[in-house]
This record gives sequence, C-alpha cells and structure tokens, in this order.
Amino acid sequence: MAHISWSDSFSQGQEAMKALSEILPSFPSSLLSSEDPSHNLLNNPEISSQITQLLRKPDSGAGDNSLCRWLYDTFQCAKPDLQLVVLKFLPHIAGVYLSRVPLRKPLAGFEAVLLALYSHETAFRNGQAVTVNIPDLCHSSVYHESKAGAKNNATELNLAVISPGLEPYGTVRSTRRARIVGVALELYYSKIGEMPVDSKIAFCEFCVVWAGEDGEVYRETDEGTDETNKVEEIKEKMKGLDADSEVRNDESSSGSSKGKGETKEGISTGRIPLPWELLQPVLRILGHCLLGPNKNKELYEAACVACRSLYARSLHDINSKAILATGSLLKLVKLNSKPMDKVDHTELTITDVITI
Amino acid sequence: MSGSTLAESGQLDNDLGVRQLSANGSRMKTSVVEEKLDEGNIQEAESALREGLSLNFEEARALLGRLEYQRGNVEGALRVFDGIDLQAAIQRMQSSITEKIPSKKGRSRGESMHAVPQNAAGLVLEAVYLKAKSLQKLGRLTDAAQECKSVLDAVEKMFARGISDVSVDNKLQETVSHAVELLPELWKLANCYPEAMSAYRRALLSRWNLDNECCSRIQKNFAVFLLYSGVEVGPPSLAVQIDGSYVPRNNMEEAILLLMVLLRKCCLGHAPWDPSVIEHLTYALSVCSQTSVLAKEIEEILPGLLHRTDRWKLLSLCFSASGQIENALNLLRKTLRKHENADDTVSLLLAAKMCSSNTFLAAEGLGYALRATDNAQGVHKHLEGAGLRVQGLCLGKLAKVSSSDSERSHLQSEALKSLDRAFSLEPNNSDLIFELGVQYAERRNLSAALRYAKQYIDITGGSVLRGWRLLALVLSAQKRYPEALVVIDTALDETAKWEQGSLLRMKAKLKISQSLHVDAIETYRYLLALVKVQRKSYGTNRIPFQASSSLAEDDRVNEYEVWHGLANLYSSLSHWGDAEICLDKARALVKYSAETLHTEGLMFQRRGQIKEALAAYVNALLLEPSYVPCKILISSVLAKMGPKMLPHVKTLLTDALKTEPTNRMAWYQLALIHKDDGRLADAADCFQAAAMLEESDPIESFSSIL
Repeated sequence: MAHISWSDSFSQGQEAMKALSEILPSFPSSLLSSEDPSHNLLNNPEISSQITQLLRKPDSGAGDNSLCRWLYDTFQCAKPDLQLVVLKFLPHIAGVYLSRVPLRKPLAGFEAVLLALYSHETAFRNGQAVTVNIPDLCHSSVYHESKAGAKNNATELNLAVISPGLEPYGTVRSTRRARIVGVALELYYSKIGEMPVDSKIAFCEFCVVWAGEDGEVYRETDEGTDETNKVEEIKEKMKGLDADSEVRNDESSSGSSKGKGETKEGISTGRIPLPWELLQPVLRILGHCLLGPNKNKELYEAACVACRSLYARSLHDINSKAILATGSLLKLVKLNSKPMDKVDHTELTITDVITI
Repeated sequence: MSGSTLAESGQLDNDLGVRQLSANGSRMKTSVVEEKLDEGNIQEAESALREGLSLNFEEARALLGRLEYQRGNVEGALRVFDGIDLQAAIQRMQSSITEKIPSKKGRSRGESMHAVPQNAAGLVLEAVYLKAKSLQKLGRLTDAAQECKSVLDAVEKMFARGISDVSVDNKLQETVSHAVELLPELWKLANCYPEAMSAYRRALLSRWNLDNECCSRIQKNFAVFLLYSGVEVGPPSLAVQIDGSYVPRNNMEEAILLLMVLLRKCCLGHAPWDPSVIEHLTYALSVCSQTSVLAKEIEEILPGLLHRTDRWKLLSLCFSASGQIENALNLLRKTLRKHENADDTVSLLLAAKMCSSNTFLAAEGLGYALRATDNAQGVHKHLEGAGLRVQGLCLGKLAKVSSSDSERSHLQSEALKSLDRAFSLEPNNSDLIFELGVQYAERRNLSAALRYAKQYIDITGGSVLRGWRLLALVLSAQKRYPEALVVIDTALDETAKWEQGSLLRMKAKLKISQSLHVDAIETYRYLLALVKVQRKSYGTNRIPFQASSSLAEDDRVNEYEVWHGLANLYSSLSHWGDAEICLDKARALVKYSAETLHTEGLMFQRRGQIKEALAAYVNALLLEPSYVPCKILISSVLAKMGPKMLPHVKTLLTDALKTEPTNRMAWYQLALIHKDDGRLADAADCFQAAAMLEESDPIESFSSIL
C-alpha cells in the first residue's frame, strides 16, 4: 500500500515536472529523470527563479496563462508535497496580484490559483472559524496553580476569533478579495515550516511593497550589518510589477541617474489597503520569519525591513492594533541585537578546581 | 582526610590560578595529567589520576573528560567519554537502587544508602551531559540530543520514587537542570520540532526541582517557540491534565498562558524582569485582537519596570484598538501633558484621530493634530501627511457644529485645504482619498466628490464597500439615479450576501426616488428574506455569529431599518394597514425610536389626525432632542395654527438648521414662513437655498457612510 502511494505520488510528480518543462523557457533537463520530482520542484533554485520571473511578467496573471494553469492543476492534484510547491510561490502570486488589482488587468489566472487555495482551506476547516480561548490566570492551568481555586471555573474564558468562518466562493468578489488572499496566507502559514527560505524572503519583500512606506528611519543604528540599500533593492526588484513602473524604469535607466522622488514613487506603486483580515496573517508569517527557530541571516534581515515598513504604515494609518503588533516585533529585534541575553545557561561553570 | 593530604592541599591552595583536580580530599595539578593527554596517552593520564586521587576507573575517566572539556578540547573529551560505558554504569546504578529501596527501613538508613548513589549518579550523569555538550559543539546535534535525553531518562528511572528527604546533591541537581534546559534547545537546533515541543513540555510538566530562573528561561523559550515556530503539534497529552485545570488546545493558547504566567512571576518578584516577555505578549494578544486583555496585563506590571509614559501610551493603544475610546483618550491626555511626553507624534496622532470622530471633541483633536504636524520631524518626518489628514478630519467635524454660516464655510474650506495638502504628500493613501470625497460631498462640490469617489474605487480595486456607497450617493445627489443604480448593482455583485444590507437599502431608496414603488417593495422583500436566513443560520448562537463575520455591526442587514423603511414606503403610498404592520414589527425590535415615531406621526398627519401627529413628533423629540425631521414637521403643523405660533416656528426651524444646515425641508419651511409674513426677499432667498440644496440632495446623508 505504502509502495503504491509512493509510486503514485512519484508519477504525479514526474507529470507535473514534465508539464512545467513545457512552460519554462529553459528547463534543466537533468531534472526530468529526477528521483524525487516533488523535492526538486520545491527546492531547485533554477526552477524557482524561472517561475518567479514568469510570475512577475506584465501579462502573467491572465486566465489563459499556462503557468497559472500549471499551478492550479498541480495544486488540485491533492498530493501534499506537490501542493507545497504551489504554496511556495504564494508570496509571488499574492504579491503581484494584489499590487496589480488597481491596474484593471486580467487576473483570472491568479484568482483561480488563490481560489483553489481558499477552498482547500475551507474544506480542511469545514468552514469553521479558528478560535483561541484566551487564558485567564484565575483558573489553574497545567503550568500554574491559582489560589482562587475551582470556584472560578464557571466564569467563561475570553474567546478570540483568529480567523472567522469560511464560506465557499466560486469567484473573487472584490470586497472578499483581501479575505481570500488572507486565508491563502493562513494556509501558507500552516505549512511555513516546510517552506524554503527564498519563498519567505520573497514574502518579506512583498510586505514592503504592500506597506508602501519606507520604514528605514526606524532602523536602530546598532543593528548589525549595513542594509541601507535594502529597500532600494526591493524597489528595483519590484519594478516589473506593473507596466507603468516598467516604463518609468526604462526612462530612468536611459537617463542613468534616478531622482529621489522617482524611486519614492517606485515603492508607492503596489501600496494596497491592508484590512485586518489580510494584515493579521501577514503579521503571523512575519513573526515566524523574524523569530522562528530556524535562523537564517538573510531572511532575518528581510523580515526586519518588512517589519519596519509595516510599522511605518500602521503609523500612517493610525491603526492601534497594527502599531502594537509591529511595534512589539521591532522592540524584540532591538532586544535581540543586544548581547546581554547571549549567556549560555547550559554551560558548566569553569572552575580552577575540578572535583567529582 | 589525613593530615598529609590536608597539608598538601593547603600548599596547592596558595598557588592561585593554578588549575587543580580534587577528589577524596586529595588534589593534584592539572598540568601533570594534561601533558599525558596531549601526548595522546589517555590510559596513562587515567592511571595517574587513579593513583594520585585514589579513584576508580569510571571516576577517573569522568574527571579526565571534564578536564578536556574545560580545556575546550571537545574532541578529546569525547574520546575519553567513549572509553567508559556510561549506559552500563547507569544501568548498574539503577539496579542497585531498585534492589536497595525495598529493604529501606528507617529514615537514617535510607539517607546513608542514598548518599552514595546520588554522588556516583551525579558523576556519571555529568559525564553523559558533558558528552552531549561536546557533541553539540561539534555540530552533531541529534547525537547530542540523544545523549542529553538519556540523562533525563536515567534520572527519571533512578529516582522514580523521588529522592528521599535528604537534600539533593548540588552537582546532581545542576546537571539535571542543565540537561532539562539543554534538551529542547538541541532538538530545536537539529530541526526536530516535534521532539523539541515534547522536550519543553517534559521540562515544564515533570518535577525537576528547577530553580525559578531556570524555569522562567525554559518557559520563555518555549513560549517563543510556540509563537513563532509555525509548527502545530497538538495539545499536551491527557496524562498531565489535572482535573478542572485549564489545558491549552493549541500553540497560541499555550504561548499566551506561559507568557502570562511569566509576567505574573516577574511582577511577584519570583523571576527577574525580562522586557521581552511583555513584547511577546503584546504581539500575541494583538494578533488575536485581544488588546483589552493585554491592557489588563500591562496594568498589573509593577511601577518602576515600565516608565509611566510608556505604560500610558501602550495602554492607550490597547484601549483604542478595543474601542474603549474614552479610556484611551484619558490616558493620552496624561501622556501629552507639558512635563510628560508632550511631543510624542504617535500619541498626538492617535489622540487627534480619536477626537475626530466626535463633534464635541473635534476642537481638542484639532489642537493635537496641529501639534502632531508641527512635531512630525526627524524620524517622524514621514508622518506629516498623517498629521495634516487628522487636522482636516477634525476641522471637518468642527464645521458641523459651528454656530454661524461664515464660520462653517471657513472651517470647511480649511478642512479641505489640510486634506489637499496631506494628499499632495500621500497621493496613494486610499483612506485619505475617501475622506476627501466625503468632505467635498458634504460641501456639495459634487464633481470633485465624484472624482475622488471614483479614484477610491480604482485604488482599492472596489474592495471596500463604503467606496461603492459613496459613489452611489454622489450620483444620487447629482440626480443620476440610473447610474447610481448601476453602481449599486455592481457593488451587489462584488459583495457576499451578508454585507448587502446597506446596499439594498440604498437600492430601495433609489427606486423610490424614481417612483418605482413596486420595485422598491420587491427590494425590501428580498432584504427581509435575507434577514430571515441570517437569523436562521446565526441567530441562535452568539459565538458563531461573531465568528462567522468579520464585519462591523452596521454592515449586516439591520432588520429594524428594513421594517422602518418599508413602513415609510407604504405610508407614502397610503397603504395604512401595511404600514401599521411594518411599524409594529419595527417597534418590536427597537421599542423607543424617534424614527418610528416620525413615521407614525406622518401617517397621522396624512390622515388628518393633527393632534395625534403632533404628539408623536413631540415624543420623538423627547427621545432624541436633536432629531431634525420632527422639528421641521412640528413647525409645519404649528405654522398652520395661526400667527401667534410663528415665533415658536421660527425658533424650531433655526434650531433645525443649526444642526443640519443643508436640510432643504427646513429652508423650504422657513421660506413659507417668510412668505406668509410678507418678507418676500427673505422668502426668495430661502426658497433659492432650498432649491439649490434639492438639486444636490443625496438619498442618504453623506455622513452616514463615514
């Protein structure tokens, strides 16, 4: 049984790879005979960069786009390891999609993929809301005892809705767009441990684009390596997102020198409304990128930039909840950069006299 | 201890800074052993130790291993440890303990029996622990974790019945505490997250006699892991659950619980203050939208740990995020006092924004906004636009309560000026575009309002309901009803059905404006069907209703408004019976309402029951003293009662116009009064005002969508 399902998944992986090889401009042929196609699709940097380049093309999200078709089909095959491959590109799909909405371009291809992710999550949760019982220290818990004792058990705990219930949608209605993307990001978050680092970095870069604010003024001077050009780099990278900025890019490169205002505009294209249903999953993913157990310097720095950007944005919006969340992340970054907490408490005390 | 060794040790003690090995009361310099070790002669080093310090094989090895480890030669340490079969030693010790325990009779015998194994156990376990540490330093993390785990397994087996009431050997306790703290970190470094999770729980849920600081560190590390790892493993097993105690069901709950416990410990002085705890908790609770709980936690922090202005600022953010505007504002007022943190741009912006939603606070808010704009320098330079924006909002709100026409018009143009300046700084700020649209609409500059309304829909991609409503309202004010209907229909296509209430209500009103009463009734019927479904699917249970919808209360279909609207419609068609039924339904939902009384009065009036009508209007005003429509209606009734009523009529109308300067009915009534009095020029002015306003009258007031 196990063997059958393995070969099944293997052949589906191969199929997906073959289909992809017909879409990508130059598919590394050695991979076609790969032992573990799903793994290669997820982790091969060559494939990854070709896909992301295609996704950033000006006409990438149309309904007849073959890459979107491939992403949709690959996700719908319901093989978990192939679904991870699609999820890996969610930052790009969501990022390009949301930034392109105001341009009234055909985006049905992206929407199909996003709806597939949305309905997968809806089915998985059975449409139910995700809730959290906020603990109350008056009740004894496994981690502490309370003097108040059992008599308080009758009082209800605070119920927090982390993600409201889901209804099935067949199309992306514009007022539900943020929710659909938000739920897709919730799905991404639930698999974030399996996501490759480059996907998370891309996510952080899109956060900067969405926020549309340069938060580098909030960078602590003692925060390690110089990354002043980080935001500029991201702006540069994102230039291809929409046709307008592409034109601007051409102009500026022909003029060789870029005015300050021009680049500022560059980051502003792509600024999107950030309602809580979108911002909340974004903040959870960002928290992971910043403080998750797997330390990767490049990711950490990208997450710091994103966090500062979103902090600046929440100040602009005077959004208290977002100020609290992004502000606390920034303070944690600051606390992290101080060496005082670097003592290893599991180390033996070194003594001059060694005894048994 | 014999005299000779004492003397020897005394001599050695004098050489401070010389590293020594000590056991059984003897000491020797490390240099002797180290030389042999450096030559690779572990056995010679070992025998030197056994002779010099009268140790057995395992003790000597353990000591050697420790020496190598301390010297930083972890590979050497590993070689030494590999020479002893630690597992066998552990097993030997376990069996000796399990044999001896049943024979234990008296307390004193038990003590003496355990003293030895504890000491020996301490030695062996430390050796295993150091092996784990050495492996960790060599990057062999999984092996390290396995060794570390075996320390804990051994301790659990050896002391399955607990350690008798003798105090625990210091060294043994130290090793155990170290191993408990190290194990989850090792699994984490080895990317074995489920193992890390259970190691954390094992550390915190079994009794290891950890000191408070160590326990707090583990709790914090676990909370951080739960919050940010993104790995959901499931709740603690049933085995550890105590009756009636709270068991977290998922990562978020467990993390918040641990952070709260930690914070409580800090506040009680059981653990040193760690500023990161409150930051993690802030992140967790704000992501869960539970900022009122966060406020309670912050209030518990002892004075001195958090500067008071920081505390006030944090609390005000919490309160404003949970809608407790008054509390938030009171705290900000304290923060923004002269000698506190008067120039804090963020606090100023927050205070101004909250004030801008209340006409009575707008003046205060304007002060904050001006200060915020002035202070938007340096780091906060980029917030200048935000300052100008709240300035504009406060001015706009102030304009609504101004006592004179000229002042109002001045404030309105100042508001627009501020918003325009903000817009030039932040041309992509969608909220700002919307506010400009509303502000222009209220000034009845409909073409500008239309431009911004369209721009808002473009920039948000039509994703925000209020954008569609603003556009439809502006179009309705321009009397472009068919286009407004197209907008509403498009918006209906773009919304899920629970959010369609306000749109459908507008649609019905648009139909009425076009005298398509049958269509309007049809729309109301559809709304009622929606209400029914909504009640069926959510009404019985409060929680799923909350959970099902992220919408604000007013976005859902409001049943009262539907019945009331329908009553108005039937009454305008003189279908008195139907109108009565609808009014009854509305009254059943909201017992005392000026609007219901207004409709009731109108019905009486239309049927010629003037006294009853007047009573209804007056009652409405008693409920809501500033309810303008009834003031106008009363004045129209009184005006027909003869000239002696005229002063009252005039007072009522000027009163109405103060509250709603753009109410065309009030101007019209005033015109009629002037005409009856023979002041024709005044009458003409008022008629003209009424006519102009009518030309730009929206189907619902513009401020209804703010």
